[in-house]
Amino acid sequence: MSNLVRSELLKIRTTSTWWWLAIGAFLSIALAFAFNAWLASETLSGGGEEFGYTGDAASAPAQAANLYTSGQYLGLMFVMLIGILMVTNEFFHQTATTTFLATPRRTSVIVSKLIAASLLGFAFWLVTTIIDLAAGATFLSLNDYGTLLGEWEVQRALLLNLMAYAIWTVLGVGIGTLITNQLGAVITASVLYLIGTQVVGLLFLLLANVLDNMAVIKWQVVWPAAASQVMITPGENEMLPAWWVGALVLVGYAVVSGVVGILITRRRDVS
Amino acid sequence: MTDGRPSPTNDAQIVVSGLTKRYRNVLAVNNLSFTVEPGRVTGFLGPNGAGKTTTLRMLLNLVTPTAGGATIGGQRYPELADPLRHVGAVLEASSAHKGRTGINHLRVICAAAGLPRERADQALELVGLTPAAKRKFKGYSLGMKQRLGIAAAMLGDPRVLILDEPANGLDPEGIRWMRGFLKGLATEGRTVLVSSHLLSEMQLLADDVVIIAAGQLVRQGPVEQVIGSMAQGVRVRVRTPQADALTAALKDGPATVDSDGQGALLIGGVDAPTVGRAALAAGVELHELTTERPDLERVFLELTAGKAGIR
Repeated sequence: MSNLVRSELLKIRTTSTWWWLAIGAFLSIALAFAFNAWLASETLSGGGEEFGYTGDAASAPAQAANLYTSGQYLGLMFVMLIGILMVTNEFFHQTATTTFLATPRRTSVIVSKLIAASLLGFAFWLVTTIIDLAAGATFLSLNDYGTLLGEWEVQRALLLNLMAYAIWTVLGVGIGTLITNQLGAVITASVLYLIGTQVVGLLFLLLANVLDNMAVIKWQVVWPAAASQVMITPGENEMLPAWWVGALVLVGYAVVSGVVGILITRRRDVS
Repeated sequence: MTDGRPSPTNDAQIVVSGLTKRYRNVLAVNNLSFTVEPGRVTGFLGPNGAGKTTTLRMLLNLVTPTAGGATIGGQRYPELADPLRHVGAVLEASSAHKGRTGINHLRVICAAAGLPRERADQALELVGLTPAAKRKFKGYSLGMKQRLGIAAAMLGDPRVLILDEPANGLDPEGIRWMRGFLKGLATEGRTVLVSSHLLSEMQLLADDVVIIAAGQLVRQGPVEQVIGSMAQGVRVRVRTPQADALTAALKDGPATVDSDGQGALLIGGVDAPTVGRAALAAGVELHELTTERPDLERVFLELTAGKAGIR
């Protein structure tokens, strides 16, 4: 199995795709950090209500958590795309034949892709977090808040961010096995991630109005991207489920897509 | 050929038995059985759409058979402990990531198969591709892609080689290289199964042939034997200024006389000495007397007549 994981990581390293996605992730960190830094300085100087930040959310630790996870929104999409490409590339470039000749036990191939994907998700998180920590700690210290790294709220955000990166890469692999057409999978997943979340939010808001029950809104957690948001958002209320509900939903999607992907791949004729 | 019983020491024999694949309404491969022996090059021939590629893919567990099965050295492909050390396959020339270099393509396979990394360099050297090792696959010519495919197949130094249309896209020099390479592998005692529709090339390359059409076995055996089995196809070409006299001299025997349309006669049913003797007895002057053996192409076209094409 370790041979297979090594082979999968080598596949990623020997093409330029991950490099482009890493550049994309880096740019999104830079943009998001600049925005979050501006937001933090506005909020912490008492202007948080303009942005809907009140109470706990306007506190220094909450803003620090936000800063230290800058770039997560697009970063998660990029690692998902890497996961997708790990599978669809095999069909797009017809390397599935070579891969399955070297390893006829296809379950092992998909499992090793899942492991390699988690490792890659971890690497993306690590690099993102190191950049965020350096920039965030500097920014907060300069503004006399200290690094705030001792706060559980901040540590929690970092750990859940790690979990999100690992799960979304795995989810990408699952999506790739379900939609093997490269362009189809990439477009579908990006649209569902970027636009789908807004549409789903709107639908649930409408539904809540129709049913005259705001608690309905919390059910949008069934949508993966919404679940991801719930997972990294502290606190819980009538409209917001607890973080672990989001985590469970997300893990559920990763497990189901992984298992279905394995079953489909085992039966598929490669020609 | 063997007596059909698998010998226990023979770990490089390919046995296909009752192999069947149905796609919706099309029976791509229909109850196909044949064996491929080590130490020989076996040509796997059939018209387009005969089911060659599907058969090879079922043999390698890439396509699941509807019925029947195939073994290599007595084991199904997925049962082989180290598949690449037993079997090397070249199925399509364009099966590498376009943005990956040739050497990295091979290293990825080495990693997956647990082969030492140096095998990638050795395999490239073997097919003469070392100068292009660090070039990306998209910059390879078709001939280079074929060579890279062969290098990938040779990584595990396998005893069984399976190649699907390896001569496609090769220039004459490439084809000659391939012929020498595959013959050399067979001489070393390896099993070489090559599908092709280039019949003249196959006649030069193959020791045995397996001919299929419409998913079914048409003929299997050593090339000479398969060609010889079409005995009625052996004809004698005669050039003479006295065609009518010779025709008359032969008309009482089993001979059939046709014109080849270019001033010569094609005589079937009798051998050259018989024709020569008849001509001598009749005092007919001969300018040419040659035995024309049918070649693989003619035998193939006769055997597969009416079974080719789109199903």
